[in-house]
Amino acid sequence: MVHPAPSTFTGAADVISVLVLLSEFAMLRAPLLRSQIRLYAFQSLVVTALAIVVAASQHIGELYVLAALSFLLKVVIVPAIVLRFLSRAEVDLAGSSAFGVATMTLIAIAVSVFGFFSIGALHLRSTALPSTALAVSVAVVLVAFVLIVLRSDVVSQAVGFFSLENGVSVASLVVASGLPLIVDVAFLFDLLVAVVVFGVLMRVHHGRTKTLSTEPLDQLKG
Amino acid sequence: MDARRSRLHQAQLAPAAIQVLQDLTIVFGAPLISGVVAHIEGRLQGRRGPRILQPYYDLSKLFRKETLVPEGSSWVFLVGPIVAFACYLIVPLLIPVLTTYGLPLGYMGDILGGGFVLALAGFAVAVAAAESGAPYAQLGASRAMTFGALIEPTILFVVFAVGIITATDLPYALAATVRSSAGQIVRPAHVLAAVAFFLVVLADTGRIPVETHSGTIELGMIDEARTLEHSGAPFALLKWGSAMKQLILYTILIDVFVAPWGLAGSAGVGSVLLAIPALLGKAVILGCVFAVIDNSFSKLRLFKITEFLAAAFLLAALAVLVYYVGGG
Repeated sequence: MVHPAPSTFTGAADVISVLVLLSEFAMLRAPLLRSQIRLYAFQSLVVTALAIVVAASQHIGELYVLAALSFLLKVVIVPAIVLRFLSRAEVDLAGSSAFGVATMTLIAIAVSVFGFFSIGALHLRSTALPSTALAVSVAVVLVAFVLIVLRSDVVSQAVGFFSLENGVSVASLVVASGLPLIVDVAFLFDLLVAVVVFGVLMRVHHGRTKTLSTEPLDQLKG
Repeated sequence: MDARRSRLHQAQLAPAAIQVLQDLTIVFGAPLISGVVAHIEGRLQGRRGPRILQPYYDLSKLFRKETLVPEGSSWVFLVGPIVAFACYLIVPLLIPVLTTYGLPLGYMGDILGGGFVLALAGFAVAVAAAESGAPYAQLGASRAMTFGALIEPTILFVVFAVGIITATDLPYALAATVRSSAGQIVRPAHVLAAVAFFLVVLADTGRIPVETHSGTIELGMIDEARTLEHSGAPFALLKWGSAMKQLILYTILIDVFVAPWGLAGSAGVGSVLLAIPALLGKAVILGCVFAVIDNSFSKLRLFKITEFLAAAFLLAALAVLVYYVGGG
């Protein structure tokens, strides 16, 4: 069976969400912590673009406000805060991870295959809902987990957590674009709290161990 | 004058004639593409660059030179280049080179079949290189086979993506699907598969990530090193064959994935003859894109090649996945 080409809105939403997923994969391989944060800013920019596309095609004015807020917070403020921390810490390279880049990519592909198939198993067939974008957002969340688990430095783990929120944003945009603004803003507020907490954690960790790697934490056991 | 023109329009080419033209376009166009790209690459690097027709001069010079065979190597050393050249003559019959519709021999094999014939050519060259007994030729052959095996999964997934988008695995069918609507071009499955194939071509034509396609540094030599021991006519065939392989891959990328426009929709003499410069022009543009990419990124270390190929594989696998869920 040959699927017809998707509608313009669905196609645009799909392409944008795939970009979000690809930037998540790029974070997985970025060796420089700075480039990882820039990738996060790029990913947030793409999510903002998705919000604008959804707002324009579904005629939801509130989403423009959300797009502006998320641009301000996720593209400008959060990366600026983390970059400022990094320039004080004077550490450029991420700590070595347990696996090579190719292996990490293959693991992340396997995990996102699981995400895709689990959404596929739900048999969501709707003309209004771009189910590809939904599946991609699940894959983004799962790959963010892989990033947190496999990369052993605090910045990667913080960025993984922030980008997890991006995946959730994509899901909420494509599934529940009519969500009340207050709920979306609450998500952003959550993120802000996370940034503060992670900022304190990174600073304390760096202050105690003089490194951003999490490997010294292993020595605490037994 | 008008009568003559209309007769020219009505004149039809036999399918067999078009098929021969397909091969001739690839055979005689390939050195031209290499020459133009090498010239532009020279300009990019601040040199004057070789003449555009230089590959033709090189080939004609080599055909006039004597053929030397290393001591102890058998007939395989001489047959390898011929087999490879024959393979490169077969593949253009299977892909849309000049026409939008499939010619009689076009259904002889699908996209995978074309891939197999290309792999056979690579095998023949590798065996000939191994037969020479020279260390560099063998090193090149072994590297080429290893990296070929690493590229293979990506190619397979691109074929899968083509297969599920068109429900066939014929290159003509995908080209027709792409032409059918703008929605088909921007759908994520197609974009991802096309970009993955772009990366495959980039790696396979000796550009990025580790090879230097024109250099003499043995570390960066993969495809070039295989032919070091050959001389005379077999060497000319190998050089010609690698130019043809490049044009074949460009043609698949252009006429199947990216820009299948400008092909002849009928057997009319005029439209078929127009399709030849159209293809060569598109190939030159694509070659320039490759040259720019090649010259603006640094080469990776040899063992980093898995990172590059993992990225290509990721795109191809995602192409299949986004289509599988929700028909992206």
